Amino acid sequence: MGRNIAIVEDEPAIRANYVEALNRFGYTTHGYSTRPDASRAFAQRLPELVIIDVGLGDEPEGGFELCRELRAQSPTLPILFLTARDSDFDVISGLRLGADDYLTKDVSLHHLAARISALFRRIDALNKPASKETVVEHGPLKLEAERMRVTWNNHEVPLTVTEFWMIHTLVRFPGHVKNRDQLMREAQVVVDDATITSHIKRIRKKFLAIDEAFDSIETVHGAGYRWRPT
Amino acid sequence: MSLRFKLLLLALSTLALPLAGWLIVRQMEELLRQGQEQTLTASAKALARSLAALKTALPPAGQAFYVHSCAGGMRIDGYADDWNQLMPYAQNIGPADDAQKAKLLLCADGDFLYLLAQVRDATRTRADASDENALLRDHLTLSLAHDNDLRRYLIASAAPGRFDARVLDGEGDSLPQVLGGSWREDADGYRVELRLPRAQMPDSLTLNEFDAGAPNNAHIELRPLLLRSPDISSDLAQFAPDGMRVRVLSAEGWVVAESGQLAALSSKSSTPALRRWFENLIYRSLIAPDMTRAQDFATNLPRLSSPEIWQALSGVAATAWHPAPNQGSSVVLAAAVPLKDNNEVRGALLLEQSGDALPLLTNRALLILIGASIGALLFAGAVLFAFAGVLGVRIRRLRDAVERAKHASGRVERNADRQVPLPLLGAKDELGDLARSFAHLLDEVTAYTDYLRTLASKLSHELQTPLAIVKSSLDNLDQQSVSTDARTYLVRARSGAERLGAIVRAMSEASRMDRAIHGVDAEEFDLSAVVRGCVEAYRPLLAPRRIEADLPASPLLMHGAPELIAQALDKLIDNARSFTPEDGWIRISLRANGDGAIVSVANQGPPLPPTMADRLFDSLVSVRPSTVQKATVVNGAPAEPPHLGLGLSIVRLIAELHRGVATARNLADGSGVEFSLELRGMPRRPLMGGMG
Repeated sequence: MGRNIAIVEDEPAIRANYVEALNRFGYTTHGYSTRPDASRAFAQRLPELVIIDVGLGDEPEGGFELCRELRAQSPTLPILFLTARDSDFDVISGLRLGADDYLTKDVSLHHLAARISALFRRIDALNKPASKETVVEHGPLKLEAERMRVTWNNHEVPLTVTEFWMIHTLVRFPGHVKNRDQLMREAQVVVDDATITSHIKRIRKKFLAIDEAFDSIETVHGAGYRWRPT
Repeated sequence: MSLRFKLLLLALSTLALPLAGWLIVRQMEELLRQGQEQTLTASAKALARSLAALKTALPPAGQAFYVHSCAGGMRIDGYADDWNQLMPYAQNIGPADDAQKAKLLLCADGDFLYLLAQVRDATRTRADASDENALLRDHLTLSLAHDNDLRRYLIASAAPGRFDARVLDGEGDSLPQVLGGSWREDADGYRVELRLPRAQMPDSLTLNEFDAGAPNNAHIELRPLLLRSPDISSDLAQFAPDGMRVRVLSAEGWVVAESGQLAALSSKSSTPALRRWFENLIYRSLIAPDMTRAQDFATNLPRLSSPEIWQALSGVAATAWHPAPNQGSSVVLAAAVPLKDNNEVRGALLLEQSGDALPLLTNRALLILIGASIGALLFAGAVLFAFAGVLGVRIRRLRDAVERAKHASGRVERNADRQVPLPLLGAKDELGDLARSFAHLLDEVTAYTDYLRTLASKLSHELQTPLAIVKSSLDNLDQQSVSTDARTYLVRARSGAERLGAIVRAMSEASRMDRAIHGVDAEEFDLSAVVRGCVEAYRPLLAPRRIEADLPASPLLMHGAPELIAQALDKLIDNARSFTPEDGWIRISLRANGDGAIVSVANQGPPLPPTMADRLFDSLVSVRPSTVQKATVVNGAPAEPPHLGLGLSIVRLIAELHRGVATARNLADGSGVEFSLELRGMPRRPLMGGMG
């Protein structure tokens, strides 16, 4: 019996495909087509991970609403948005509501599976004591690979999985320029340049919220980004 | 011609007002004048009747010899010097066909009656009066008559100097027995001057000239002598109104009696000279009637000769206006009426009255009219000018707003709060209608533009869900047992789905860029470093094509978004790469341009079709041949990403964000194409404070 995953998706074909695929990956997956259906089911038993589409049936923002409800029920439940809406505004809204990641629907099933397993790993790692080997430290930065946690001056930086992997990619070889393709590959996302740019911008903002003097992520125009070696 | 000027021209139509006023005032003035003329004529007629009632001796009818008055001291020497003043009034006594051949002048002082006769005679045959044949030679015959006495004298002289006239016939004691005078000759003729005592002065006389060389000679009948009449003068003085001058003229216009003085006008000291001069000018030029010449009516003229006088002498009363002598601003009205005795015109009575040249009433009306007209003109002009100004300003505001709205609707501008609403929307006039029509039109244009702009993103959004179905289905199918033959199709289907996905991504990227561009924060950066970094990054990407970089060594500071400029450069390089052959070249250059910079990417390759040059930077426009894309599908591996022509539209957006333009042109030598970005830096103020 695998981990319990719920998919809230109003498009039956996609829902069926994802359910089947995730089942094949070894998860126990249930699909729901509307927010009330899902809410009812979640009220009885909370799954271990929820994948939500933003637009649900006749509720264009039903996914956000559902996310808010779930977050109220459980602060640790991994929530993943999988949606056709790819505007920055929607991404920011979703992440602000406490979603752990935000994927667009053109992500492949493999990428999705990788994301899901990463989220589970993070959940698992948070429950285990930190193992020394997987911790990378760079000055004020401390990156725990297993737990997917990043701290700066001992303050936790609330990163999504995608963002964590980007930081991870940059920090593993400080000073090396990582181009957008590399970042994309590492973060297991298929997005365009503009999205990478906005991801980086968001990451910077999260660090800046903790430390106003943060400038470790450097833009190398035309090439990519690098972690400024200390 | 501007609206303002046109309306100003319209204001000139108010000139009709003074024109109408002028006509009215002139009419009024004419009526006033007619009244004055009639009054004066009536006075003159009354005077004439008074004279008749007094049985005053009127001047004789018919022709007469006028006896001028002379101050005395006339020398009987045959020379006309002392007659000069009177010479113009000499009466002709020549023959009918040459009346001026002989002239006669008479004048009298207290003691003597003087006579001057002047004869033009080039063919002199001389003889003394005492000569027997004197009557056959050139001579003058003088006839004097007094009461019933008549005496004829022969005047002739063989040489200049004194002469004695020979009495030809006639008797009577009242006439002189001996008559002597002075004779002078010159090349033209001869002159005779003589005098006789006042006591022996005749009632009438005649002087006949005989020219021995002329075929016929004049015969002048006896004519009465006409003197200034103290009787008539005293009668006139009795009746003449104050301040008027009255003159009695003989049938030939000779002044027989004169009385009264024209009242000198009290000069109006209250009126400033300048204003008076101005009023005079206005009056003279606009209203004053035709004037007879003043000298025709001058005082002390022995004879008056003007059309009015002749009209009166022909029996019809007449009036005339003439300027008062020596008094610039006053005029004289003269009324001439005939003096009749038994229906025979014996002379004329001329009554003159002076008046102010500027009739007060007319003048005031005229001035008020002129003032009011100028005021009305100025006022109407000012009102129309102001109106035109306001109208122009409103139209300009509307035009500017429409221009702005046009730019805003056609370009990146999308936020409702940054669109200035059209002015005049509330106006109730035609401009308001126009503004509302414009607003309606702009709304529709904006809506349509928005629709077009969001079409790509909407389309991509709508396509994502079915695409996800296809892709997830293919992913699932991958896990099923599929025959090897069928797997080929699976691969092809997947490659098709990938391409579709790429297209959808590119489409949403464009709209996302659009939004991202607005959220960007400007910073100060070195453009030359950014371009240099990009060039280095492109080298491996573009190999084996040659890259030529022409970058300034010094930093080129710019206020803007470096990552966006790098992205724009990415697009241009990407575009250049796909058109450049493997062994071709790509040239990237950067140079300062005023307060901004120009980044150009030139590449070897086919030239742009001329019709596309303007539309190249529009969305969904591509000059790429579609066969390039089709060829790759067969292999199942999309080597080239699909091109929707969105890249260059992003370049345009980024250029516009930096207050610049993106242009494309063929290189002069035809070897390739050059894309240029003219950048001037983003506006200094935060583009959108609240966002991001």
